Amino acid sequence: MAANQYDAIVIGAGHNGLVAASYLARAGKKVVILERREIVGGAAMTEEIFPGYRFTEFSYVVSLLRPEIIRDLELPKHGLKILPLPSTVTPLDNGDYLGSWDDHDLTRQEVYRHSPKDAEAYDEYSRVMARAAKAIKPIISMVPPDPSSLSPRDLLGLLKLGQYARSLSEKELYRIAKLVTQSSADLLDEWFEFDPLKGTKSASGIIGTFLGPRSPGTAYVLLHHYMGEIDGAFRAWGFAKNGTGGVSAAIASSARALGVEIRTNAPVDKVIVKGGVAAGVALQNGDELRAKIVLSAADPKRTFLQFVDGKHLPDDFVQSIKGFRVRGSSGKVNIALNALPDFTCLPGEGPLHRGAISISPSVDYIERAYDEAKYGQFSKNPYIDMIIPSMIDRDMAPPGHHVMSCFVQYAPYDIEGGWDDAKRDAFGETVISTIEKYAPNIRQCIVGKQVITPKDIERIAGITGGNIFHGELLLHQLFFFRPAPQWADFRTPLPGYYFGAAGAHPGGGVMGAPGKLAADAILKDGG
Amino acid sequence: MAYDAIIIGAGHNGLVAANYLAKAGRKVLVFERRGIAGGQLVTESFGDGFSANSLHASAQLRPDIVRDLGLNLPAASARSPYVCLLGDGRRLTIDADPVRARDAIREFSARDAERWPEFVAFMDRAAAFLDAAYRTPMPRLLHFAPVREGLPLASLLWKLRRLGGRDMFRCVRAMSMSAEEFTDNWFESDALRAAIAALAIHGVTLGPMSAGTGFTLMHNWLNRGGLAHQPVAGGVGSITTALVDALKARGGEVRTSVDVQSIIVDRERATGVRLASGEEIPAPLILSAADPRYTLLKLVGAAELPPEFVWQAQSIKLRGCVAKVHVQTNGQHGLPEGTLAVAPSIRYLERAYDAAKYGEISKEPYLEVTTSSSTKECNVVSMHFQFAPYALRNTDRSAANSIVGQRAVDTLDAHCPGFKASVKRMHVITPRDLESTYGLSEGDLNHGQLILDQIFFMRPLPGWSKHATPVDGLFLCGSGVHGGGGISGASGRNAAQAIIKDLR
Amino acid sequence: MFDLKRTPFHERTSKLSLPQNWRRWAGYIVAGSYDLVLDREYWAIRDAAALIDITPLMKYIIEGPDAAKLLHRMTPRDVLKMAVGQVFYTGWCDDDGKMLDDGTISRLSDTKFRLTSAEPSLRWLAMNAVGMDVTISEVTDQVAALSLQGPKSRTILNKVCAKSLDKLKFFRLTETKLAGVPVTISRTGYTGDLGYEIWMPADKALTLWDALIEAGRDYGIVPCGILAMDMARVEAGLFMIDVDYTATSHAWIAGQKSTPFEMGLGWTVALDKPGYFVGRRALEREYKEGSAWRLVGLEIEWEGLEKLYASVGLPPQIPGMAIRASLPVMHNGKQIGYASTSTWSPVLKKYIALAHLQRPHFEPGTRVAMEVTVEHHRLHAPATVVKTPFYEPEWKRK
Repeated sequence: MAANQYDAIVIGAGHNGLVAASYLARAGKKVVILERREIVGGAAMTEEIFPGYRFTEFSYVVSLLRPEIIRDLELPKHGLKILPLPSTVTPLDNGDYLGSWDDHDLTRQEVYRHSPKDAEAYDEYSRVMARAAKAIKPIISMVPPDPSSLSPRDLLGLLKLGQYARSLSEKELYRIAKLVTQSSADLLDEWFEFDPLKGTKSASGIIGTFLGPRSPGTAYVLLHHYMGEIDGAFRAWGFAKNGTGGVSAAIASSARALGVEIRTNAPVDKVIVKGGVAAGVALQNGDELRAKIVLSAADPKRTFLQFVDGKHLPDDFVQSIKGFRVRGSSGKVNIALNALPDFTCLPGEGPLHRGAISISPSVDYIERAYDEAKYGQFSKNPYIDMIIPSMIDRDMAPPGHHVMSCFVQYAPYDIEGGWDDAKRDAFGETVISTIEKYAPNIRQCIVGKQVITPKDIERIAGITGGNIFHGELLLHQLFFFRPAPQWADFRTPLPGYYFGAAGAHPGGGVMGAPGKLAADAILKDGG
Repeated sequence: MAYDAIIIGAGHNGLVAANYLAKAGRKVLVFERRGIAGGQLVTESFGDGFSANSLHASAQLRPDIVRDLGLNLPAASARSPYVCLLGDGRRLTIDADPVRARDAIREFSARDAERWPEFVAFMDRAAAFLDAAYRTPMPRLLHFAPVREGLPLASLLWKLRRLGGRDMFRCVRAMSMSAEEFTDNWFESDALRAAIAALAIHGVTLGPMSAGTGFTLMHNWLNRGGLAHQPVAGGVGSITTALVDALKARGGEVRTSVDVQSIIVDRERATGVRLASGEEIPAPLILSAADPRYTLLKLVGAAELPPEFVWQAQSIKLRGCVAKVHVQTNGQHGLPEGTLAVAPSIRYLERAYDAAKYGEISKEPYLEVTTSSSTKECNVVSMHFQFAPYALRNTDRSAANSIVGQRAVDTLDAHCPGFKASVKRMHVITPRDLESTYGLSEGDLNHGQLILDQIFFMRPLPGWSKHATPVDGLFLCGSGVHGGGGISGASGRNAAQAIIKDLR
Repeated sequence: MFDLKRTPFHERTSKLSLPQNWRRWAGYIVAGSYDLVLDREYWAIRDAAALIDITPLMKYIIEGPDAAKLLHRMTPRDVLKMAVGQVFYTGWCDDDGKMLDDGTISRLSDTKFRLTSAEPSLRWLAMNAVGMDVTISEVTDQVAALSLQGPKSRTILNKVCAKSLDKLKFFRLTETKLAGVPVTISRTGYTGDLGYEIWMPADKALTLWDALIEAGRDYGIVPCGILAMDMARVEAGLFMIDVDYTATSHAWIAGQKSTPFEMGLGWTVALDKPGYFVGRRALEREYKEGSAWRLVGLEIEWEGLEKLYASVGLPPQIPGMAIRASLPVMHNGKQIGYASTSTWSPVLKKYIALAHLQRPHFEPGTRVAMEVTVEHHRLHAPATVVKTPFYEPEWKRK
């Protein structure tokens, strides 16, 4: 085969691109991945920002990486280890805390301390959510059919969906219907009375969305948190060895072993279209690569509005992609520390340092944080989800030192007046001073700090809008509708061009499912 | 005298249901707690020469109901223009006539002006679909009779498909969108988007940036027939009069000033009602047009119901946030004709809603103002005020009425200088009053918020969209059930039709 | 903070338990056994008196004018008819008639009840109490409980009790003082023998433990762990949540749920009682249509068992404790159910089991076969369906 001639070209070496390429190579295809940056990983990468301190710059926990991908691509052989992240602690304003541990009895006891009623509700709620997650899981690994189409493939898909629905109990169906439509605040109000518990739970419903916990549709995102627990891989929540970059590195290594060629520093200019079908890719340096299959693992806007000329796509479709909402709403602050932050609520080194620490004292707190964002400001009192990766993986920082990763919401992409250095600094300062309220020694411990705004995510990771899920998890941007109605099956209106990233079904998180499903679609089409 | 059915509440839905049952030959008796029938459809006097449509400036029963029941309604007046007050003295006047509206919009955006007729046509199609959905009984998922319930449902889905791929997706997706996003898909002018968004949040405790306000927009568009009100000659109370007259003509009875205290239940079967006087009136069928939570938890009582069901009933989201401010002026109020909206921008509306989330009355409220061209006195100005939440956190409840009145007048005066000087007296109705006087739990005009998890087969509760309840012989026919929300009579019609079908 | 709860008897029990085999029970840890083998503790139950720490049982006080109404509504028993001083054993269901839990209701006064349960029940109680004039408080940690079981239990208690228990009937309770401490004593237990349960303030727990041990010294009192009790309860035909049935709230699928009729608790379901109760419609239907399966007793035929073992040259080998493992039960080569707990019964000298059998195989006298693993091979031993309890001494109710 001639040089630059491939069976398939994958654009973007994020984890989805790597997964898709690996599956294609596994099926015997000659595959090349083109990565804009000098390193692979996309948003799932680890960098040594300060000498000796390694950070997972953007994403930070691995919850949902599909176990079948881990098995199929033999990722453990390539170095993947997912270490447990056993707890969540929410420091409270009164100096107390609310913890959830990896033992059921201990967690129950802890919640009971705050509210006996909630302790029971918590158990029941967890079971109900786990059941709903179990019920919805097959839908997530399903290729969404097009409900308006009469093609046999779509009708069969609809039939399958219907059959699946029939296998559920009525209660489960209603629960799912409610979960996808409800606001997380409403859902949690039905169950709990203790505000910090509701606050902490509701926080997981807003991650990656530009909605507040009182906005309908946020309850669905809560469900994602229960997915990991039913995979047979109990407590699949975890932190990857070497950060999420470790995940990318493992998949990349597996991809190479399968014969995938990975080209870094190879930004894509255009997808070459010949006779109405995709024929290859032109790089920004003028090189041209040929293949009958081109798969984009970039975000939908780049995939359809930048890489492809509008004339090759139907107007309706282009309009839909233009309307696809990708407003980034979160930022990250990565901190290098010379000592552990000492939390007033649990002084000294303790189990809280090995888990997540969540600044989410109430639903109102998070809702107010959202209020500021919707008018174009970053939250003055933001929701912060911290983990200290060096407590889980000692290789992340020099001995005795630590790295702390703070996921922060809300930081709107469209901040009033636009992001600049002064605003970024102010945002970083807000985060530090918020943490300081609960861990007064934090400032003295800081030896380095990196602040990432949605604008930075866009700039560095190449995600339009800087949304960590490549597109907001809104009800009308899920399943059938992700990324656009009638094109949720990883195919695109341009034959030979496929789409398999977080902007496709089933969405974001370091899950790998869109990449795998896209590869499946290509192989099914005989690509 | 033995009755076939007792209907609790002589609101429009109760009266519609009673009429349908009476038409089917049943002996019906309607109880109304207040001294006048009508529920939310009343035109009342608040003093000398000071009368107004208490809660709704206009109302339209679904045309099929009017036809089925042969109602003698006053002829509808022309639809008034929708006038958006933009705060800077500018006004956006959207006429019911799309061509005139287009010309007005052109001042704000030529592109938007061109799209307006298409938008109106789309909204009308979407509303027609919603109307069909509200007519289609919502069966229980997985447990429906294939022919009796499946066919209507299939025909509804077919209607949806017939909208065509593009409109179908637009329609379905719009339901879960925020009004902000939905209007963004159509228009660029913030003034025009806000004008539409105002209708989307009208009567619900949501802001234009809340997901699901795309749906409430369609819902309100359907019930109102467009953006602006279509005033009812003689006031909305005349619709009630027509319904009562029709019922009496069919041999039905309406008894006002009778407080039904409870529904008598014996081992999960309703056998009659008990009045505040202690009198018990038996009937094999009880229909409640009161809101579902009140009906189930107050009239039936939690003790007679399954605990999971009770929990669900407690979880019905009722959160009134609408206040009404009726102002008697000296006639010199200087307001233009039509439906006036103080909704200068999407952000303005959203900020007004923000207050409600934290139990506060909006400092700068969204107002919808109608002048009394339809009533005899042309000096009365009525304002629909949002948001004045039922559950106030830091505001003294007894001060709520005066705060609402003052903010309403001040806000309108800021937009229409001179208005304040014309004010003679005021009558304010807050959600607390809606509850105590009009019997609406938490002052929720819709008997349950119109949010995505409380509509269609989840209204009033998932699994109970067929008007039945766990209590045999007890049915729900008010706004809180499928078809409902707003003044349309659809819930009353649906409930009666379901019962009649069951009886056959 | 990062520790499981200890009962107020821990100071004593932790020193007495030789094997230190702590078991988790509802967020507490309790002794599995005190001796290295279970024999002494088991025989104390059957021949002398066994003192068992049952503090982890969830306990609730329900008080107020509507207290009886609440329990009447929540459980299938006719609580309105219950006399003060009476104790009811009952299961309770969700509205589909599927069992959530089981426990005892004690009527302490006209308007005051105590409910014990295995699962936390505060939420369910509150959900049932909507609109009722009643207060519900959990007293699990405040009320310590000891079970004194065995033929000598009455004699021992009479020695330290302010009043004689001779008149206290089966499933009745009395308020009295024990070693000067006010306690409630109910004639109840989980062993199928003569026995009493003593409910006391947690802060007086050690005083009472010492007093009972002292009083029982001459009568062979023995501290007994939950493992020996597990054998006794199978002999008594008493089932255990999470072992012999899955609480509906924990079930993943419909097939894991149970009804009172299926669990053999038909006698607790008062279908004719006045008013609504949770699950009424479903239970009425099941009563009319019959249950799909039932929990029954199985006696494994010893000769058959011997034969299976003899075929590989071994004598029968049965573990000396209850086995909480699911064992398939067959009929004509087809699986028709499973045993959820099986045990060697030292007093009966029989291998017995509690088994879930499908209709029509649950009638007493039906011959079936239960799986046994003989030298790593799964074989089937002949067994017969019998009525429970397997063992019921005449002094249990007298």
